Amino acid sequence: MNENLFASFITPTMMGLPIVILIIMFPSMLFPSTTRLVNNRLVSIQQWLIRMTTKQMMTIHNKKGQTWALMLISLIMFIGSTNLLGLLPHSFTPTTQLSMNLGMAIPLWAGTVILGFRHKTKASLAHFLPQGTPLPLIPMLVIIETISLFIQPMALAVRLTANITAGHLLIHLIGGATLALMNISMTTAFITFVILVLLTVLEFAVALIQAYVFTLLVSLYLHDNA
Amino acid sequence: MLSRVVFSAAAATAPSLKNAALLSPGVVQATRIFHTGQPSLAPVPPLPEYGGKLRLGLIPEEFFQFLYPKTGVTGPYVLRTGLILYFLSKEIYVVTPDTISALSTIGLLVYVIKKYGGASIGEFADKLNEQQIAQLEEVKQATIKGIQDAIDLEKSQQALVQKRHYLFDVQRNNIAMALEVTYRERLHRVYKEVKNRLDYHISVQNMMRWKEQEHMVQWVEKHVVQSISAQQEKETIAKCTSDLKLLAKKAQAQPVM
Repeated sequence: MNENLFASFITPTMMGLPIVILIIMFPSMLFPSTTRLVNNRLVSIQQWLIRMTTKQMMTIHNKKGQTWALMLISLIMFIGSTNLLGLLPHSFTPTTQLSMNLGMAIPLWAGTVILGFRHKTKASLAHFLPQGTPLPLIPMLVIIETISLFIQPMALAVRLTANITAGHLLIHLIGGATLALMNISMTTAFITFVILVLLTVLEFAVALIQAYVFTLLVSLYLHDNA
Repeated sequence: MLSRVVFSAAAATAPSLKNAALLSPGVVQATRIFHTGQPSLAPVPPLPEYGGKLRLGLIPEEFFQFLYPKTGVTGPYVLRTGLILYFLSKEIYVVTPDTISALSTIGLLVYVIKKYGGASIGEFADKLNEQQIAQLEEVKQATIKGIQDAIDLEKSQQALVQKRHYLFDVQRNNIAMALEVTYRERLHRVYKEVKNRLDYHISVQNMMRWKEQEHMVQWVEKHVVQSISAQQEKETIAKCTSDLKLLAKKAQAQPVM
């Protein structure tokens, strides 16, 4: 049972070959790129969605911040699509691996911080001290702000990992509970199945929301540091 | 086959290379020219409008047609049932918690797609495309209209240019009339001035003659008055008095009657 529980999170290999790279690159096949003016329905809908997301996300930035548009939109598309594909049965979700999420969060966060320190040094350093703090509290507050700054990439990565992993685990556990209850009492199993359906709805929402939150936070860090 | 096409195209466009290419196959391979003519992919063929027909959303219709001669209409469905039972009974497919979650996920997806999907999303995508095309079409129509308006304006102005000579005639007439009026005015002025000068001389002459006449009359009167002596004056006065008395008697006598 224990081994079976975490079996879906191990690095997938097919006959000893690590195919995790292929799995990570798979969602890009679902977004066709086209050179035509009028496209098929799938591409039209995808382009409409991406345009809507871009407009929503990039209007708060200035000219310099908007150069990050490609990065941020590909980020949200990637995380969203991998999360949604992971809800299919027997699939592997790359975003459940902390290594990958750290690999996404740390460079992006570090990029925004370094950008801020290079271009607006005084303003970036000023972020360490909120306005209107009483004089004796200043040293402690600077330390606290520094810690909170360095926690940001960790929080980004761990938030995504924990949410998706927890969701998958819950689905697996409640499915197992339904299975075990089917021999004991059918009605309880049915109730548990209803819980599972509701959870699945939640997981669909979480998949999209987590993608949005990740990208939004990176965008926010970018806005602070431009 | 394509290399033959490229080779002939290269030979056609560069006769000098033909001699070099005849040397050896290796040289032909090395000196092959790419992208000499029209790209072979253009014009791009149009995309098919509708996808292939499917049953159960997954299995193409051709599979059913393939099994139809041997197993009839129910063949594929019986195959499906048999396969599922076989996999389950032989535990080739093991029922795990994943199965239950698969049931719930796939069931949810099918329900949502059946309820909100289908034609409505297709229509939405079609509407998106239609809007885009309509926008571009509008731009095209607006440009065409603008150019048409410019053409019409140009034509009307060309027509106006043809009728410009009327304007010039009228202007010419006006100017001629103004010139004529000015000439007559000046002529009249000249006439008046000359007449003025001549009138001056005439009036000077008249005044001289009147002055001479006056002078002469006064001279004659003065001498006549001088020539009347005192005695002559007394006689004349006495005569006048006796005449007046006579006339008075005559006048008194008549009203009594």
